[in-house]
Amino acid sequence: MKTVNGKGAAFQVLLVDDSPGDARLTREAFLAANPAIEVHVTTDGLDAMSFLRHEGAHANSPPPDLILLDLNLPRMNGREVLASIKEDPALKKIPTVILTTSESEVDILKCYQLCANSYLSKPVQLEAFEKLVTSINDFWLVKAKLPQQGGSDE
Amino acid sequence: MMSKVALALRSSFPPFAGALSGASKNHLRNEPLHDCEENCLMLVDALQEYAVVMLDPEGMVLSWNAGAERTKGYQSEEILNHNFSCFFTPEDIVEGRPTEVLRLTAAIGRLEEEGMRMRKDGSLYLAKVTTTRLRERDGQVRGFWEVSRDLSESKESEAKYRGLLEAAPDAMVVVNEKGKIVLLNVQAEKEFGYRRNELVGQKVTNIIPEGFAERLVADGTRTAAQALAQQIGTGIELYGRRKNGSEFPIEIMLSPLESAEGILVTAAIRDISVRKAAETHLAQMEGRYRGLLEAAPDAMVVVNQRGEIVLLNLQAEKQFGYHRNELVGQKVKNVIPEGFAERLVADALRSTEDALAQQIGTGMELTGRRRDETEFPIEIMLSPLESAEGILVTAAIRDISVRKAAEANLLHKVEELNRSNDELEQFAYIASHDLQEPLRMVASYTQLLSRRYKGKLDADADEFIGFAVDGASRMQRLIRDLLEYSRVRTKGMDLSATSGEEALHRALSNLSGAIGDSGARVTHDPLPNVMADEIQLVQLFQNLIGNAIKYQNAEVPRVHISATRNGGGKFIFSVKDNGLGIDSQYFEKIFGMFQRLHKREEFTGTGIGLAICKKIVERHGGSISVESELGRGSTFRFALAASEHP
Repeated sequence: MKTVNGKGAAFQVLLVDDSPGDARLTREAFLAANPAIEVHVTTDGLDAMSFLRHEGAHANSPPPDLILLDLNLPRMNGREVLASIKEDPALKKIPTVILTTSESEVDILKCYQLCANSYLSKPVQLEAFEKLVTSINDFWLVKAKLPQQGGSDE
Repeated sequence: MMSKVALALRSSFPPFAGALSGASKNHLRNEPLHDCEENCLMLVDALQEYAVVMLDPEGMVLSWNAGAERTKGYQSEEILNHNFSCFFTPEDIVEGRPTEVLRLTAAIGRLEEEGMRMRKDGSLYLAKVTTTRLRERDGQVRGFWEVSRDLSESKESEAKYRGLLEAAPDAMVVVNEKGKIVLLNVQAEKEFGYRRNELVGQKVTNIIPEGFAERLVADGTRTAAQALAQQIGTGIELYGRRKNGSEFPIEIMLSPLESAEGILVTAAIRDISVRKAAETHLAQMEGRYRGLLEAAPDAMVVVNQRGEIVLLNLQAEKQFGYHRNELVGQKVKNVIPEGFAERLVADALRSTEDALAQQIGTGMELTGRRRDETEFPIEIMLSPLESAEGILVTAAIRDISVRKAAEANLLHKVEELNRSNDELEQFAYIASHDLQEPLRMVASYTQLLSRRYKGKLDADADEFIGFAVDGASRMQRLIRDLLEYSRVRTKGMDLSATSGEEALHRALSNLSGAIGDSGARVTHDPLPNVMADEIQLVQLFQNLIGNAIKYQNAEVPRVHISATRNGGGKFIFSVKDNGLGIDSQYFEKIFGMFQRLHKREEFTGTGIGLAICKKIVERHGGSISVESELGRGSTFRFALAASEHP
């Protein structure tokens, strides 16, 4: 499965989630689905933006192929992070998938208005969650054609 | 006939000869008479009312005029030269009265008396007789004049008055200034129970003990006439006393009557027992009605068409803080500023009666204003009251401050309860939602533990992990159901016309797995359209049919759904199964939260399905019930409003 970017790890995924338990569970699920994925975790919105802009401690961070974004985040919430990404010409091409426990209609609508690439609810059951992560991998990292890293800067 | 008399007289009484010949002047034309004398004679002769008779000293009749002939009945030829004693009654003659009269007259010159006299035919009459002596110049008595009048003639006219008196409908009593009865009529006899002669001359106080005699006596400041004048024509109410001592109410009218005896008082006396009794009865009746009015628990105000208060009761005084006298005649607007007076005035489209009729018996809520300007809520009931003054309006006014306060309090409590209910539901939703997150961690990681380490640790570890996984997943189901329960209200949609048929099909589609697994036969009648939240109706069917399939031991579980219209625009839905059935003691309980009738090993479930059903039906304004017998299946029924557009 090492294809697209030709680096050491096949895929770089940024997971933005303040719950270490959730983050670990997601990482476990991704590894189960595709061991070639490198999952980076940031625990709040500001940290996520630093990662994306290679700032501070994240000066050497890799540009992610996919962003998984929770909505309830400290300091800068998921919607603000989403808005910042989609307003940033360098970042807006990165597929950003909302992965949250919220099933609120308002949240769903708002996120699509802010150009989220899809909105997914975290299933309560472990098996269902694992299936969802597998299908994310299948769709976004296997089936979907993604732009070349760095090639889309306008 | 008179010529003889005249001649006789002229010879006997030369000075009067001329005077006595007048009646016969035609026969005495040769006599030298003075005009004056002749005129006097003519006058005497022509007198009809008075009998004028000249007597000689012995009482022999010397002259006779027309009045004498009329009253005494004798022709002049029959009586001339007869003694005048034949004018007296036989008794008087026996007593020597005629002689006595002449003797007295001769002695004193003139005698006046009233006495009985006899006519030629023997009948008696009352006469007033004046006898005058005639003397010669030397003082010797030469004869007498007897002038008399038949008093019974004047008594006749009196009789006419008496007739009038007797014909009067009232008792009439004439009293003199000394308070003695001088005259009375037959009605007076009857009313007082006395015979006439028992009363004449008696004190009037015998029959009217008080109030009459006093009026006859002038006090120091006025005359009797003045005292009387004040009472004339007025009806004075007094008491009369009968001969037997019983008393009765009378009304008396006084009028003065001047007479020779001084001022008499005529009293017309009317027995007013009947009228008094009627008045007393009326007063009693009015007293009763007033008592009723005063006893009424509400303030009562009677108002005329001009909006003026004409009557009110004690409660009205109390409620409005006015004294009765301050309110009577006042505009009702002063105490009920709005909504009452307006109703008394007919607008152009209807009469006062119509306007009122609309309000009769309805309790209007208005505002009353007390004397101290404070206002209070009132309920007012109007009813029309026909009277001589036109249509009056009776208003029963109730102070509803307490009720209003209670209502406000109740409303406040309801609002509070609703708010607390909302908060509780919100709490349940948020709590169950937020509980889900940490629980997801517990459940997920115990499952991961179980998956990765089963068989790698010891047997105890496997068992412990097993319990943790089971507990966590049960907790997850409970929370999921709790969330669903709280969402019935918080996430419910507005009711709209919904096809029962379609909702059922969706429910069956959701249940297809369970139906397939159990081999159940689910049948239904055509279902109507109802007012519902479709998602909830689907859930309702799903829960009930799901239960019907689940609680089963039959070879082929059967479920039948039907609906019948009830009288009042609602459909009663039935979900009937051939399952285990429910003991009647649990009919109520099964609709409670987390109520389970079976052990976990027998049937899975959190015991919230029927609680959700109940909540859904209640949110739709209906109710749900179960009819069942152990071992014979159950029928659940719920009612939903029919949709207006079927």
